[in-house]
Amino acid sequence: MDAREDILFRVRVALGRTDANRPAAAADVQAAFAARSQGPRPQLGADLLARFRHESGVQSSSVDEVATLDEVPAAVARYLAERQLPQRAVVWPKYAALPWAQAGLAVEARAAQGDDAVGITGCFCAIAETGTLMTCSAPDTPAATSLLPETHIAIVPLSRIVAGMEDGWALARAELGELPRAVNFISGPSRTGDIEQTIVIGAHGPYRVHLILVRDC
Amino acid sequence: MRSQAMFFKARVGDKLADRVLQENLGKAKSKFVDARARAVAEYERDEGADFEALREAGKEIRNRTLANLDVWLETFEAKATERGGQVMYARDGAEICRLVTEIAQRHGVNKVVKSKSMLSEEAALNQALAAAGIQPIETDLGEYILQINDNEPPSHIIAPAFHKSKEQVAELFMRTHGSSKKSGIEEMTREARETLRGHFLSATMGISGGNFLIAETGSVSLVTNEGNGRMVTTLPKVHVVITGIEKVIPTLEDFATLMRLLPRSATGQHISNYVSVLTGVKGADELDGPEHLYFILVDNGRASLVGTEFQEMLRCIRCGACMNHCPVYQTVGGHAYGWVYPGPMGSVLTPLYTGIANALDLPHAATLCGQCSVVCPVKIPLPELLRGLREKQVEMDLRPWSERIALRLWGWVARRPKLYALATKIGVRYLNWLADGTDRIQVLGVAPEWTRGRDFPAPEGRTFRELYAERRTGQGR
Ligand code: SF4
Repeated sequence: MDAREDILFRVRVALGRTDANRPAAAADVQAAFAARSQGPRPQLGADLLARFRHESGVQSSSVDEVATLDEVPAAVARYLAERQLPQRAVVWPKYAALPWAQAGLAVEARAAQGDDAVGITGCFCAIAETGTLMTCSAPDTPAATSLLPETHIAIVPLSRIVAGMEDGWALARAELGELPRAVNFISGPSRTGDIEQTIVIGAHGPYRVHLILVRDC
Repeated sequence: MRSQAMFFKARVGDKLADRVLQENLGKAKSKFVDARARAVAEYERDEGADFEALREAGKEIRNRTLANLDVWLETFEAKATERGGQVMYARDGAEICRLVTEIAQRHGVNKVVKSKSMLSEEAALNQALAAAGIQPIETDLGEYILQINDNEPPSHIIAPAFHKSKEQVAELFMRTHGSSKKSGIEEMTREARETLRGHFLSATMGISGGNFLIAETGSVSLVTNEGNGRMVTTLPKVHVVITGIEKVIPTLEDFATLMRLLPRSATGQHISNYVSVLTGVKGADELDGPEHLYFILVDNGRASLVGTEFQEMLRCIRCGACMNHCPVYQTVGGHAYGWVYPGPMGSVLTPLYTGIANALDLPHAATLCGQCSVVCPVKIPLPELLRGLREKQVEMDLRPWSERIALRLWGWVARRPKLYALATKIGVRYLNWLADGTDRIQVLGVAPEWTRGRDFPAPEGRTFRELYAERRTGQGR
């Protein structure tokens, strides 16, 4: 017997699977998919923005806020200058058209490579409960941009802040239909506690995550 | 990995005598415990947030799929296949090694980057890959430290190098990287980052475990803090997921619930830095992501738990809370347990997966204090399962003759109240004499082994029965 048949056979025997009780099992699967019932979750109140800002801080992300998308490049330039980082970045193709050059930034719209220092992305939505970005991969939103560079800057429209992960899934189902290849939930810079359980920021991913909230977009 | 669980007692002796290890364990032990307690308290600050209700929900989610595991697996398989993944099954470690090696050869792979996969430890996959001329690179910092220390086994499922001090790591890095010796943890982490970056960029295949398989969407989820899980599933052109058949859950909503439990129970974080839900292969116009995706769903003992009194163990979401809170684990560390999984969950899994007769001491390596089941996010009754394994040992006649005779003798005496009263009276007097006026006994005359690494508490003067009789007749205090 091949491994698949063998394993499934043993599971079926152990569960007492018969032709008679199989429909009930299949019905339970369908019922779960139809209901998509949510587990217990915290009630966050009305001010999701305040919560998102607070939790982002807990996750060691820094936060800035601007009025419109067009103001983002200047905010990026300011952030990089303050930290004496190079005024050069890769950006999601989705945001290629923002006035980067005007702000004095050399920006390329492509997937990030190993030696890119700064990556600029947006997000599919942002989750207030934990200060988390939810990103969805697509041709104009590649996953590596938020991962390879030492500095990750993310554009977060206020209109895309939701309460919890469940709300992110609901948005994804409504707007994308099926899930993209990669949904990444990102909560601050990468870290490790593997040596003496001492938390160190900057493991394999970014050392810094900077969020630029955008009011009108 | 070959189990060494039969040598538990001998290893415990070594571990207790290992001064460096004892110091390292002492430093680490309260960190996870405190972090979890803080995270649970912080969670409950929100309106309507009750961690107990969350644990109950976690248990129900896991029970739901286990109750019809065959149908849920088929559902996952159909969905994952529809999205371009290829689902395979492996009965044991040898089959995992064969499948992974074949996949690597099919795609002309000579270097593999791995994020943490306990199943690949069960299978000793690294050794098999190396033997086939394929270089495996562990990329979780803890796993990497162990790999460069001659493939040392992990001692904790969340923090594999839990038992190592930073001095030991510094030594190891200097030897392996040929660099100057670092003293700070930050510098060492950067050195590892720079070493591993090159491997991420050049490897053509990534291997990961899977925290959950989501039936609704045919996805695998990965939870990491370092970002290595994302690296190995974004950059190489082939991604192989190796995970147990029990990991399937119904929906994305269920995943959201479990993600409120897992990081808090594991490291005390509200959420881990990177949580990925990966579905299918790279689209034609996409700039990154793997072109080939394989799932290897593994039995290796799991199916034999289904439908038994031990099925509850399959709910485990590998958070490590039970070992963090276990007084035995805190004292002897993970290596003493002799196989992949340490602590209470390991003491249940190792005998069940590798044979009850091959791990006789593990179900006894517990004080049954119950703390593990209090913190378990999916409410696994670990002490009861340990007791069940002890019963199995007795049923299978696996206990030593001395223990069997002692128990029979005890049973004989206990059924004769007068004799029992006399025996306990003498026993208590004897123990008090040994304690010599103090509250503890340093060398227990009849069982000196017992007091080799600890003291025996001295009884408080007289037996319970004596005190009780005194009260009944109204002469007591
Ligand atoms: S048995 Fe429970 S506490 Fe232990 S690792 Fe598994 S889920 Fe966590």
